[in-house]
Amino acid sequence: MESFSNLLMGFSVALQPGNLLLAFLGSALGTLIGVLPGIGPSAGAAILIPLTFQMDPTGAIIMLTALFYGTQYGGTITSVLLNVPGEAASAITCLDGYELAKQGKAGTALSLAAIGSFIGGLFATICLVLAAAPLTKMALQFGPVESFALLTVGLSLVMGLAGKSMVKALMMGVLGLLLSMVGLDPVRGMPRFTFGRLELMEGLDFVPVIMGIFGLAEVLANAEEGFGEITLAKMSSLFPSRSDLKRSVKPIIRGSLIGTGLGLIPGMTGSAASFLSYITEKKSSKTPEKFGTGMVEGVVGPETANNAHANGALIPLFTLGIPSSPTVAVIMGAFMMHGLVPGPFLFTEHPDIAWGVIASFVIGNIILLILNLPLIRIWVKILKIPYGLLFAVILGFMVLGAFSVNNSVFDIMIMLGFGLFAFFMKKMDFPMAPLILTLILGPQMERALRQSLEISQGSFSIFIETPLSAILFVLAVIILIAPAFKSLRKRKEKVSGEGA
Amino acid sequence: MNCKKSHGFMVTVAVAALFALCLAPLSAQASWPAKGKSIQLWIGYAAGSGTDAGARLMAAGLEKELGVSIVPMNKPGASSQIMYSELAKAKGDGYVFGTINFPSAVVSYIDPDRKATYTKKNFDLLALHIVDPGIIAVLPNSPYKTLSDLVAAAKANPRKVTITTSGIQSDEHFALLQLQEMTGAQFAFVHFSQGAAAAIAPFLGGKVDAYTGNVADVIAQYKAGQVRILGVMDDVRSRFYPEVPTFEEQGFKLYNSANRGYAVPAGTPKAIVDKLSAAMKKVMESPEHMKQVEDMGLTLRYLNSEQYSKFWDDYAETVKRLLPLSKE
Repeated sequence: MESFSNLLMGFSVALQPGNLLLAFLGSALGTLIGVLPGIGPSAGAAILIPLTFQMDPTGAIIMLTALFYGTQYGGTITSVLLNVPGEAASAITCLDGYELAKQGKAGTALSLAAIGSFIGGLFATICLVLAAAPLTKMALQFGPVESFALLTVGLSLVMGLAGKSMVKALMMGVLGLLLSMVGLDPVRGMPRFTFGRLELMEGLDFVPVIMGIFGLAEVLANAEEGFGEITLAKMSSLFPSRSDLKRSVKPIIRGSLIGTGLGLIPGMTGSAASFLSYITEKKSSKTPEKFGTGMVEGVVGPETANNAHANGALIPLFTLGIPSSPTVAVIMGAFMMHGLVPGPFLFTEHPDIAWGVIASFVIGNIILLILNLPLIRIWVKILKIPYGLLFAVILGFMVLGAFSVNNSVFDIMIMLGFGLFAFFMKKMDFPMAPLILTLILGPQMERALRQSLEISQGSFSIFIETPLSAILFVLAVIILIAPAFKSLRKRKEKVSGEGA
Repeated sequence: MNCKKSHGFMVTVAVAALFALCLAPLSAQASWPAKGKSIQLWIGYAAGSGTDAGARLMAAGLEKELGVSIVPMNKPGASSQIMYSELAKAKGDGYVFGTINFPSAVVSYIDPDRKATYTKKNFDLLALHIVDPGIIAVLPNSPYKTLSDLVAAAKANPRKVTITTSGIQSDEHFALLQLQEMTGAQFAFVHFSQGAAAAIAPFLGGKVDAYTGNVADVIAQYKAGQVRILGVMDDVRSRFYPEVPTFEEQGFKLYNSANRGYAVPAGTPKAIVDKLSAAMKKVMESPEHMKQVEDMGLTLRYLNSEQYSKFWDDYAETVKRLLPLSKE
C-alpha cells in the first residue's frame, strides 16, 4: 500500500500545471516524431534533450519519457493510413492496419490501437509501481561494491544489444569505455586524453555525443535514402463496433503481458515486442489464414505490446539504473544531465521526482489517448511538409541545441563529429547502442570500482566477500556465457542433423 | 517555440554587445556604472548548481544597489577553469566579474597538471560571499563518539578507517590532509568525485566509517537523527548545529570550508573594485538576502578585497604544502 500512497504523492507532482503542460508537450512531440517516418524515438529524444536543459529535472524527464512512449502512438497512424511505418515498432501493424484502412475501417483500427496502447502502457506502469517498492528498500544496501557489481551486469547486457555481429558490438562497447575515460581521473586528478583542451577536462559531455550518434546520423541516413510519394487511405468513423471491441480484449491482455515482459529484458526492442505479439495473435486465432487481410487482432495486439514495451523498458532504468534500449539510454542521459542517477537511490533521495515521473506516465497515456483520436487528420497533414525542409530545420535546431548545453562551440563540433562517425559506422553495420551504453556506464563503473578498492585498500576480494556483489557477479557471468552455450548447441544440432 | 525565444535572446545579446563596444571608450571610471549599461556576472558552474543559486541572489541584490542590470552568464566546465581562463583575459573595466570558488580557483593554478593559463595575479578580488564550513559525521551507532576517538582510531590503525571526500583536491580532501598532518593519523580516503551528495547514501548504508562534507550537506539527516556530527571546521559554532562543537573547541586548529566570492580581471580601477565590493557588503546586510542564503543552509561571511586576498594567500600556502600528499 505504501507504493500507492507514494504514487498519490507522485500525482500531486505530476498534476502541477507546469508538469502537466510538459507531459502534454512531450506527448504531442512524441506523436509528431512517431508520425514522421525516418525519425525514431531515440533520435527524437536525442534532438530534444537540450530543450529540457533549463527545466527542473522532474519536468524535463516527464517530457522526455512522454515523448518516448508518445512515439509508439504516433507510429501507428502512418502504418495504418499510409502503409509506411512511422516507427520500426509499428512496422508489423502495416500488414493488417493498412488492409483495414482500404476496407474503410481506418478509424476503427486507429481507435482500437490507441485504446490498446493506453491499457498496455498503464499495465506496465502498474508493474513499475509494484517493482519499485521492494527495490527501494534495498537502496541503502548498495554501496560502491554492490554498485560496481550491478553495473557489471548492465555491461554484460551489451551482448543483448549486439545486433548482427557480436565482434562489432564488442568493438563499439570497448570504444565507448575508452571514450568514457576522457577527462580528469576521478582518483588521481590527472587529466586523461584531454589533448590540452579544457573542454575535455570533465569528460565528453554525452548530450552532444548522443545528439550526434542518434539524431544527426539518423537524419543523414534518411536524407540519403529519400522518401517516395505519399498516398493517404480514407478515414472513417472512429468508433469501433461492439464486435470489434470484443475481439480486442484478449489481444490487449496478451499484448500487455508480452510488451511489459520484453521491456524488462535489455536488448529487446519495441519491434520485437510487436512482432511477437503479432505471431501470438496469429497462432491463437481460429482463422490464422485471414491475417494480412485486415484482422483487428493483428493491429490491436502489436500496438498494445509496443506501448507496454515502451513503458516496461523504463522499469529496469528506474529500479536498477540499467538502460535496456538506446532510447532509454538517452533518457538516462537526461537524468544524469540533471545530476540524478536512476536506480534504487532515486526513490529514497528524490521521491518527488521518481514518483512524479511515474505518475506522469498515467497522465501522459491519457493525454495521448485524447490527443490521438480526434486529431489524426492534423497529424497526417504534417506529412505533407517536404522532407528537405524538415531536415534542414532539424539540423539547425540540433546545432543550436548542442551549443546551448554548455554555451560552447566545442560541443557543436562534438555533435557533428560523432554524427558523421555514427553515419559511416552504421553503413558498415556497427551497432551504436553498445557504445552509448558503455559511454554512460563507464564513468559510473570506474568510480564505483575505485571507491570499492579505496574501501578495501586495494584488495579485489571485496567483490566476492560482499554477498550481494557475489550474486550479481555470478549473474553477469551467466549472462555472458549463456549465448555461447546456445550457439554451441545449435552447432551440435546442425552437425547431427547433417549426419542423419 | 523555444527556438524562437533563444533566437530573440541571441539578438538581444548581440545588440547589447554592439552597444557595449560603442560605449566602452567613453565610460570613465568615475561614472561607473554607466546608466543603461549592464554588468556581466560569469558563473563557473551550470545553472541550478549551488554556486549558480548564490550568485544569482547576489546579482539580484546588486541590481538594486547599483541601479544597473546584472546579467548572470553560466560558463561551466573543468571545475570553473574554463571561466577563470576567460575572466583572466577579459577587460578590466568593471563591466564583468566572475565567481571564485575555493579550493578550485587556488588548486587549478598551483597544480601543474591542470595547465592553468592564469594565477592569482590575473584577478582582483572583490569580496568573499558565502562559506560552508566542513564537518565530519558518523552514524549514531558508530564507536567514535568524539573527534578524538576518530583520530585515535586512524592513528592506531593507519589506512583502515574509511572516510569520504567529495573528490580529489576537494575542500574535504584538503581538510583531511590537514588533519592528518596535524595529528599523525592516517585515513583511508574514499573519493566521491561526483560530489558530496553521492557519498551520503553509502555513508548512511554503513559502507564507510565516516563522512566528510559541508554543513549544508546533512542538515536533513541531522534533524532526522540519522547522523552524529563530530565537529565543524570553523572558529564559531554553526547556527545549523548549535549543539555541535567546533574542531577548535576539541583542540584541533582546523578551519576549512567550501566558499565562494567574486573577482574582476586584474587591472580594474581600484575605485570600481571598492565600489563593487561595498555594494556587495550592503547586499549581504539586507534581511531578505540573509534569509535566502540561510534557507540554503549556507553562511554569509563578508571579506573585503584585502582581507579576501590575504585569505587566498593563506589558503594557497596550505594547498602548496599539501598538494604532493593529495596525489599519493
